[in-house]
Amino acid sequence: MKGLIFSVKRYSIHDGPGIRVTFFMKGCPLSCWWCHNPEGISPEPENVVIDEIIGEHKFRKTESAGEYYTVDDILAILGKDRIFLDESKGGVTFSGGEPLHQAEFLVKALKACKAGGYHTAVDTSGYAPAGSLRRIIPFTDLFLFDLKHLDDTLHYKYTGVSNVIILENLQLLLGSGRDIMVRIPVIPGFNDDDSHLRDLRDFLLKNKSENLKKINLLPYHKTGSSKYKRFHIPYRMEGIRQPSRERMNELKTFFSETGITVKIGG
Amino acid sequence: MIISERVKRLREQSLNAVEKLSAERALLMTQFYKSDEARELSIPVKRAKAFEYLLKNKKLYIGDGELIVGERGPAPKETPTYPEISLHSLRDLEILNTREKVSFVVDEEVRKIYETEIIPFWKGRSNRDRIMNLMTPEWLTAYDAGIFTEFQEQRAPGHTVLGYKMFRTGFLNLKEEIKESIRSLDFFRDRAASDKYEELKAMDIACDAIIMYANRYAGELEKLAGAETDPDRKAELGAMAEICRKVPANAPETMHEILQHYWFIHQGVITELNPWDSFNPGRLDQHLFPAFRKEMEAGTLKMEQMYDLLGCFWIKFNNHPSPPKMGVTASESSTYTDFCLINLGGVKTDGTDAVNEMTYILLDVIRAMRILQPGSMIQVSRKNPDRFIHKALDIIRTGFGQPSCFNTEAIIQELLRQGKSLEDARNGGASGCVETGAFGTEAYWLTGYFNLPKILELTLYDGFDIRTNKQAGLKTGHARNYNSFDELLDAFKAQIRFFADIKIRGNNVIEKTFANWLPVPFLSLLIEDCIKKGKDYNNGGARYNTSYIQGVGLGTVTDMLTSIRYNIYDRKKFTWDQLVNALEKDFTGDEKIRHELIYNTPKYGNDDDYADQHAVAVFEMYYDAVNGRPDPRGGVHRINMLPTTSHVYFGSVTGATPDGRKAYKPLSEGISPSQGVDRQGPTSVLKSASKIDHLRTGGTLLNQKFTPQFFEDEDSYTNLTALIRSYFALDGHHIQFNVVNAETLRDAQKHPELYRDLIVRVAGYSDYFNDLGEDLQNEIIQRTEQAGA
Repeated sequence: MKGLIFSVKRYSIHDGPGIRVTFFMKGCPLSCWWCHNPEGISPEPENVVIDEIIGEHKFRKTESAGEYYTVDDILAILGKDRIFLDESKGGVTFSGGEPLHQAEFLVKALKACKAGGYHTAVDTSGYAPAGSLRRIIPFTDLFLFDLKHLDDTLHYKYTGVSNVIILENLQLLLGSGRDIMVRIPVIPGFNDDDSHLRDLRDFLLKNKSENLKKINLLPYHKTGSSKYKRFHIPYRMEGIRQPSRERMNELKTFFSETGITVKIGG
Repeated sequence: MIISERVKRLREQSLNAVEKLSAERALLMTQFYKSDEARELSIPVKRAKAFEYLLKNKKLYIGDGELIVGERGPAPKETPTYPEISLHSLRDLEILNTREKVSFVVDEEVRKIYETEIIPFWKGRSNRDRIMNLMTPEWLTAYDAGIFTEFQEQRAPGHTVLGYKMFRTGFLNLKEEIKESIRSLDFFRDRAASDKYEELKAMDIACDAIIMYANRYAGELEKLAGAETDPDRKAELGAMAEICRKVPANAPETMHEILQHYWFIHQGVITELNPWDSFNPGRLDQHLFPAFRKEMEAGTLKMEQMYDLLGCFWIKFNNHPSPPKMGVTASESSTYTDFCLINLGGVKTDGTDAVNEMTYILLDVIRAMRILQPGSMIQVSRKNPDRFIHKALDIIRTGFGQPSCFNTEAIIQELLRQGKSLEDARNGGASGCVETGAFGTEAYWLTGYFNLPKILELTLYDGFDIRTNKQAGLKTGHARNYNSFDELLDAFKAQIRFFADIKIRGNNVIEKTFANWLPVPFLSLLIEDCIKKGKDYNNGGARYNTSYIQGVGLGTVTDMLTSIRYNIYDRKKFTWDQLVNALEKDFTGDEKIRHELIYNTPKYGNDDDYADQHAVAVFEMYYDAVNGRPDPRGGVHRINMLPTTSHVYFGSVTGATPDGRKAYKPLSEGISPSQGVDRQGPTSVLKSASKIDHLRTGGTLLNQKFTPQFFEDEDSYTNLTALIRSYFALDGHHIQFNVVNAETLRDAQKHPELYRDLIVRVAGYSDYFNDLGEDLQNEIIQRTEQAGA
């Protein structure tokens, strides 16, 4: 059994504690307007055309975004960086796309990583059958759980899916005893108006628990726009500005009122 | 540290002072060599008397507000020459005066003195002339082809650092030691007894000379104090005069005394001759800490005073650019930097954690002073706290390039393997760029850089150098006749051995010229066991003696071999004729081949064994050719892997290479991957770099460029600390971080006037970006930038 992965990042330092290796798994049921990994949306390998430049000459190359990895492939990559992961108390993170979209493979991979002594993290949108989630809980040390919008209508409009399952799954995880970091993408004009921010704060306060370790505020950034062209996906975020550092600090103070640790960035 | 007005002014003065060539030393040296007295003396005594003559007659300099006194030249950045080592021609002086980078003002008076006094006397008599006459035709051919460089051609052997002893000893004590050593000379059985006697006599003269020099300063300070109207400065000058009466004759006791004591010693070393890497106080936090604690407890020193002293001390180093070079040496090491490297942290003689309060104070000083010299490094031991590394990262993140990070446990193991005692190894560290040494007890000479990619290039052309049109190497056959990759490797190995032989033979002859004609009685006082053995530093007097040849271009040569194996033998993508043809044309019209070589061929630096195995293979061949071969000082040759800036010079003599590198472009530097080929992030670079056995070298250099984003918060510090500690657990010797973004650098290229303070890490040292040649600037911009995640 193999997993479809579109990118492997070593010295990943924003996807959980310490130095990590992050595997970006392909396929996602959401279609968020601001997605900065659009190549992670389709569950199939895709061809990408890349221009490689030598002086004034351009060499066009077709590469596959998405390759199949076995669990052993994953362990071999982790083994290469083991010393860094151990020294930094880091580990492995499965991100995406939506890793739970390949639940079978994810369970196997997590189980093997856990058996290998690695700290495991899953970066999820939360949009997955509760059953899949339950299967990975025993092998996952940390969940990075995205919380995008509390209003179902708006959530549906900007991500293509309802947030009902997501919020239920968050409750499930909160009760599981596993560490959770809630990640809020700060998207100007979508979820950063005062009333929604207050709702979010109150929601987190209400659900505050021992295992909710941190709130990560992820400022919207534009790095994805050029990728959209490459994948022929319309880019709907034209004209949206990245939140300023001051604004992010303001939000950090605001969410700190919950008493939960807040960090800007991963 | 808050910089006082005084230090701010002196710092500005130092930064704005213009590098200028001074004829003072050359003139005094000529006068002395011409004197009747000089003709009557044994060589060691003559050198000691020359040293005394210089110190007796050189102009004194006391800057307004200075707390530490003494300059090598008549004023800050006025730089002397050393005609007995190498003689600048009028043409050289013209180039120095007019060249864009690393220039020295040569005024009409200096030019005239050179024309009428210096050149007529020294022409044909400098050691450089002597050396060039002694070298074989094979050596000269290889040298011209750019196979290796020669360190001792324009500077005296250096690479030594002051150890614990001299921070606790005065020169009057050394005179006693000399007396004792003379007393125990055995004129019955020891055939060398008379030579030893002359050497010891010379050392004794050198002791008197440095004490006399300090007393001259004391006299001048007393005079100034007498005339001073400001009561505060008057008291200061009086106190400084007292200190100069006390040290270096007697052992220093206070911080101020220690710093002034060291500074007299420093001036002595760089006035006697122009040894490589200037000279260095080494483990400064260790040397200062006991006095600091005592004075703090006694309440005799205030923190502001201490920072003022350290600030003044720091500026002294910056006032001393490296002596002006010429020819190849100017391009292999094109910098004003004279490679002082203050060591912080590490372990104590007894093996315990050496980080102390002074370590943190000096890190503060480095951060606040922000000047090129002295350079600084942290020795990171398993026993040192993370806080120490975090504090260093705080400075590194500002893009200053300092301090660099060294592995204490690796340094100790390297030294132990070479036969040093455990205590001497623990008291050691790194100096220059990254060179391992036992401080206070070892003469570890760098002898020249060794161009590994060029040797592989020659191996493809039957030993023929297509640039100089000469048969430089062995006739091992042409590329197309190597039937297998192993055949090529065997030929390459034979060529490495051939050139190592030429270089080592040359070294052994050259080292002997320094022993015979240019002993250094003053430097010999400072390094144990020269006095005990009655032997000069340049003649094997030190307890340990090592001669290094520095391998250059590991990344490039590895990628060359990998490409050949992959594209010619394994995948058979092209024939040798196709590849060689493309190389000869520098890929003109063969862009398709070049594209394959660059984009579709494995490269060193990605933790890919297919490529990295060739780094190990080259390392082992080079090690076997050099390691353990005797030098004339009773020591042996060893290898290290560092380029300073020679990878630019070596690149400029090396044609297009099978890794896709264009002709005459820089080679990779240190053990870092070729510029821009590492695509898997820093952990992979460190993994690749740790595949060679660092512990069998005397130092390796790894440069890792980071954008400032990698330093943005507490977590990133923790991760970088883990990165460093992991590399060191893998026995990595050294890593330095270049923190800057390419955009800033490009802008600096366009508007140099706006970036006069921009310092970047070059290769084992930092330099002002504006002082670098355009090619080196471009290379630094090009080095892979790991974008922030």
